[in-house]
Amino acid sequence: MPTLALDPQDIARLESMSVRARVIVEGAFAGLHANPHAGASIEFSEHKEYAPGDDIRRIDWKAVGRIDRYYLKRFEDETEMRTFLLLDSSASMGYGRTGPSKLAYASYLAAALAYLLAQQGDPAGLLLFDAGTRQYLPPRTRGGHIRDLLVALDAVYPAGRTEPGRALAHVAELAERRSLIVVFTDLLDAPADLADRLRQLRSRGHDVALFQILDPDEVALPFDEVTDFEAMEPDDARRLLVDPRDLAASFERESAALRERWRRICVEARVEYQFATTAEPPAEVLRAFLFARQRARR
Amino acid sequence: MHFLAPALLLGLLAAVLPAIIHRIGRRHARPVRFAAMELLLRSEQEVSARRRLRDALLLVARTGLAMALPLAFARPFAEVRSDLPAVTGRSQSAVVVLDDSASMRRHARTGDGGTPFDAARAKARAVIEHLSPDSEIALVLASEGGVAPIAELSSDRARVRAALEAVPCSARRADFAAALRRATQILTSSTRADRLIYVATDLQAAGWDDVTPPAGPGAPQVVLLDASGGAPWTNRAVVALAAEPAPEEGAQGIAVVAEIANYAPEPVHNLGVTLALDGAEVARGFVDLPANGRARKRFVLTAAGGSAHEAEVSIDKDAFPLDDRRACLVEASRGLRVLIVDGDPRTVRTEDGAFFLEAALRAGGSGFSVTTILPDDMVGRDLSAFGAVFLANVNHPPAAAVPALIHYVEGGGGLFVSVGDRVDADAWNQSLKPILPQPLGLKRSAAALPGARAEGETVDLRPAERLAPIDRRHPLLSAFPARGDGLSSARFFQYMLLSPLPDAPGRQIVLRYESGAPALVEAEVGRGRVLLLTTTVDRAWTDLPIRPGFLPLIQEAARYLAGAPSGEAAAALTVGGKREIALEPDDRRIEIVPPSGDSRWLTPPAHGEARGRRAVTFSETDEPGFYRVRAARADGTVSERPDAAFVVNLDPRESDPARLPDDKRPDRAGAPAAGGAAPRRRLELWHSLGVAAIALVLLESMLTLRFRRGRVKG
Repeated sequence: MPTLALDPQDIARLESMSVRARVIVEGAFAGLHANPHAGASIEFSEHKEYAPGDDIRRIDWKAVGRIDRYYLKRFEDETEMRTFLLLDSSASMGYGRTGPSKLAYASYLAAALAYLLAQQGDPAGLLLFDAGTRQYLPPRTRGGHIRDLLVALDAVYPAGRTEPGRALAHVAELAERRSLIVVFTDLLDAPADLADRLRQLRSRGHDVALFQILDPDEVALPFDEVTDFEAMEPDDARRLLVDPRDLAASFERESAALRERWRRICVEARVEYQFATTAEPPAEVLRAFLFARQRARR
Repeated sequence: MHFLAPALLLGLLAAVLPAIIHRIGRRHARPVRFAAMELLLRSEQEVSARRRLRDALLLVARTGLAMALPLAFARPFAEVRSDLPAVTGRSQSAVVVLDDSASMRRHARTGDGGTPFDAARAKARAVIEHLSPDSEIALVLASEGGVAPIAELSSDRARVRAALEAVPCSARRADFAAALRRATQILTSSTRADRLIYVATDLQAAGWDDVTPPAGPGAPQVVLLDASGGAPWTNRAVVALAAEPAPEEGAQGIAVVAEIANYAPEPVHNLGVTLALDGAEVARGFVDLPANGRARKRFVLTAAGGSAHEAEVSIDKDAFPLDDRRACLVEASRGLRVLIVDGDPRTVRTEDGAFFLEAALRAGGSGFSVTTILPDDMVGRDLSAFGAVFLANVNHPPAAAVPALIHYVEGGGGLFVSVGDRVDADAWNQSLKPILPQPLGLKRSAAALPGARAEGETVDLRPAERLAPIDRRHPLLSAFPARGDGLSSARFFQYMLLSPLPDAPGRQIVLRYESGAPALVEAEVGRGRVLLLTTTVDRAWTDLPIRPGFLPLIQEAARYLAGAPSGEAAAALTVGGKREIALEPDDRRIEIVPPSGDSRWLTPPAHGEARGRRAVTFSETDEPGFYRVRAARADGTVSERPDAAFVVNLDPRESDPARLPDDKRPDRAGAPAAGGAAPRRRLELWHSLGVAAIALVLLESMLTLRFRRGRVKG
């Protein structure tokens, strides 16, 4: 697939979050032969292909005449999706040794999604959380909303301990009708009840997507001399003085096991799971997410 | 622990280097704030046990290596208690005398299956290794006639050790007098103040006879190293073996008599005794042995005449099997041809001068083939066809026959001469001087002949002469009872005196009259032998011919004269003895086949040929058993020489386990006790440390390699 996707370092060098969002979205759609500025949707289509049992009164006969295939028209509440973007901004998200931090990377992706939703006219909200909700911008469609949202993303900084469960509980209260809830976190110190929170959201009819963002160092240890590791989050006094070469293999296994565990949890809870490292071009990640959404809707 | 170079122990400070390097490495660890601490800690938990073990092993290996090297270089040693005398620690000139006598080959009761010789060698080895490096050492063997493997003082420790390890234990008797003399002689070349003789022995008393400890200023000090294990040993042995005629079994009858000794404070009952003849067991019996006593076992058998048989008597084995058997050669009467020259023939048979002689030789199936001739018939007669020639009352041998007679005797023939009224002493002395044992003298009348008529008024009332007690050690008389029964009753009325001669080798008086005058004289002449009887073999001068001893005396004399052509007195030697074997005219070389079968060829020396006596001397009689002799003839053939075969037996003194008394020990006679109170020995430790260092290097390398492989595999 041809790609115009910039790598994260290039994205970081762009002057503002709105530019970054636009570049990422354009990169994501560059290989899709579709213009994101011409009615493209985060759902990718406003139609659903007919399946036996569907109400034939909802068949879009114009589409049948145009492409000779049966599609059902969607109602307003289906096409105008309210989206909550939940961004983990705890201290651990600030790790980034050679590239952008996980928080910066997650904010790029969130900005791109917000930009895309705004282009579709879908309301998007933002919730920055650490141990609690640090900042909340409710979903709106007015003209200046996307700017506020991008400014908030541009200004986000890592701090505090992470409590994604509480953020999900909060958003469950905020989302009164069916919504898309997208969570960006590293899941490194995620509590056990996070899976239950995700299932609760799904049981209320929300679509939930989970982005696990890790630094490449958290996938495979690159250090080759004795290192004094310290925890990043406040009130976490854990330290480890060790030769990382001794742990490299075991660490890689543990990291893979962590990702696999969350992938399974998400599959079981019917939550969209997307993994990315901060070394991957954000546009590629966004495109993969949109493809996955498209496949899921079919 | 002590050190030869303690200053090098400062290097031990290096032992802390691995720990310091480890700590410095940790102190300079780069701090990194890391988000995935949970994953790190889980990984650490997974590998920590293995990693800690590896780290600990590496630290131990590296620290151990850093300690082992300076320790090894400091040459550590420990002083341990030792059974070696303390004097070994001094710089000295030393001679190690190793007892390699036969008794050292017995199985000791130590339980490890070793022999006292093994223990003695171990003690000698310990002395050699323990002596200070600048000491000089020589090595001497204690067996009789034994060599000195290192006959000069040497600082080459490896050479002395190699020589020690190469010494086999002999079957010879011990001769410590000679060994100590040799050791003392070797030490005379040393200028050191400390000169010692270490004797590694089982302290058997035999072999210490005539030992005079070195004495005087500067005399070497003798140190005994007891290899006996401390426990007294008991023994049973066949200490003597002889064969004798057994007339009760006829002419072919042989009695083999074994003397068996019990060297133990308890008696032995029903000890099995076996007789083997020519390798086959022919008889077995039992004997009871008193405590610390002896018993004789007599086997009687018949054997084919004409050749020697190998007889061996053995007893049930004990811890010293070498002396549990003994061998001898036995020979039944051969069908000897005997020539009698009758110098006083009579028409009345019983009055004939050779009557009793001929009767004795022909008696009882003796197997002798007797030919009787007159003196004149000697001329031109081939004497070599006869095993023995008897000249009975011959006036004088015909002049033409004298050279042949002398040649016959010198060539190995046996001549028996008896005198009488007809003998012309002067003629004998003139013509047969080279072969007569002693010149004939005047006739002596000891008493009146029975039935002699008194001359005038003179009545001879003197009692007749009788024989003095016989000496049974002579083979001619060994068959007679100890008191000489059969001979002692004989009366001698007249006999011939012999002109005195200085003692000469090969000449001896076999029988004497009570007056001291010789009755029967023996002389070895060339390879032959001559017996001279100074009285008659008929009843003219004596009644010996009618006495019971006459027949065996004459028959034994005939066998004796015919049966030892080489002139050897006996065919049995003790281990280490020399055997001279005369060559027959056609013999060129002699082959000796010992019991092991490794034969040895001997060639007579040239100077022996020049003197007209061709003989070889064999001295390698180190194995007990039978030694066969073969001769390479002039015509290229090789044939047996059964007449020269011989046996070698253990010296019976080696069987006696009596221990050398303390007051006879040369190390306790006068000189202060060698050594001192607390003998200690230096034990070098640096070799072990070197090995440990190598092992630690290997361990460290192995751990590092495994560690790296583990990282690569992940």
